Amino acid sequence: MNRQTRDRALSSLVLPALALVAFLAFSRPTAQAAQASTATPPTPMHASALQVLQIQAEDVKLPAEFQMAMYEHVMEEVGKTRRFEHLYRDGDRDAASAPDLVTLRCTATGFKQGSAEKRQVTTVTGKTSIKVHLLFTDKNGQKLFENDVEGKVQFLGENLRATFDFGKKVAAVVRQDFTPAKSAKKS
Amino acid sequence: MREFDGKALLSALVLFVACAASSPRVNAQSNAPASFNVKHVIGLQAVQHNTKGQATVSKDALTFTSGPTKSDLAISGIEDVQTGVDSQRIIGGTIGTLTMVAPYGSGRFLSLFREKIDTLTIEYRDTNGGLHGAIFTLPKGLASALKAQLVAAGAKASPVPAQEATKP
Repeated sequence: MNRQTRDRALSSLVLPALALVAFLAFSRPTAQAAQASTATPPTPMHASALQVLQIQAEDVKLPAEFQMAMYEHVMEEVGKTRRFEHLYRDGDRDAASAPDLVTLRCTATGFKQGSAEKRQVTTVTGKTSIKVHLLFTDKNGQKLFENDVEGKVQFLGENLRATFDFGKKVAAVVRQDFTPAKSAKKS
Repeated sequence: MREFDGKALLSALVLFVACAASSPRVNAQSNAPASFNVKHVIGLQAVQHNTKGQATVSKDALTFTSGPTKSDLAISGIEDVQTGVDSQRIIGGTIGTLTMVAPYGSGRFLSLFREKIDTLTIEYRDTNGGLHGAIFTLPKGLASALKAQLVAAGAKASPVPAQEATKP
């Protein structure tokens, strides 16, 4: 093999490798940016109370067990963030007396029920995913910020585990956009 | 040939009748148990997730008992009861997870063995009006029996969709 042939062979390997590295380097931030494209507050906000309304699924056929499991996981995971002194459920009468109440409305925008069997056998197929639009409003109903999250189960676990992932994602949004409360109580 | 076809048809018919007679749904409807073996997935106060126990319907409450743990859910607070179907691995839990790393793909092979289960979702309000959702899983065919007992005790339930009503 002469020098010219060797250089040509090397360049044919190096160029695709560089292109792959560049793609990986730039594709990840772009994906994150797309996920965070919705309006979020520039600095973390402070509120003493949060009321989580019932999960809405008007345009999406969401099974009842998913809808309620999502709600319960949101209550649990948001409670763990300790960002609010009071965390109220939908319909809680005490919420009306909270001075700076923030309301969270969750609307399911997409649902794909995968198969745990397929996931466990093939690893790459059978993903379950729930896409939800989050809207945070103040006591007067004015929009504070909104976000889109996706709860999913891709490898291990039954389908309902996607609701746990959803709760974690909502908690991450709350943790990022609200300052910690001095003393958190769960209603 | 024709005689063989007749015998095969008769055998298939006998098998079908035997299967239909032994299906759990029929048993569940004919003699519903007083208490149900359930798994609490999420939603009851002071009960851990995925706890197995007994659910009993009394005049004014649904009681979940698991060893020393007991949780009552007032029938008057129940706003909706819905049933659904799902499936789960026969070998589940920690052992089930550990089998995923078993050699020669045997974990994946074991994943093929699954059992159908029923889900029961109860939407209820606490004394302060706060919304809760309790989810249970039951052996196949028993969710509708538990739902029927809850409705008979006074729990509200949305009408059964046509699709669910016609499910085998």
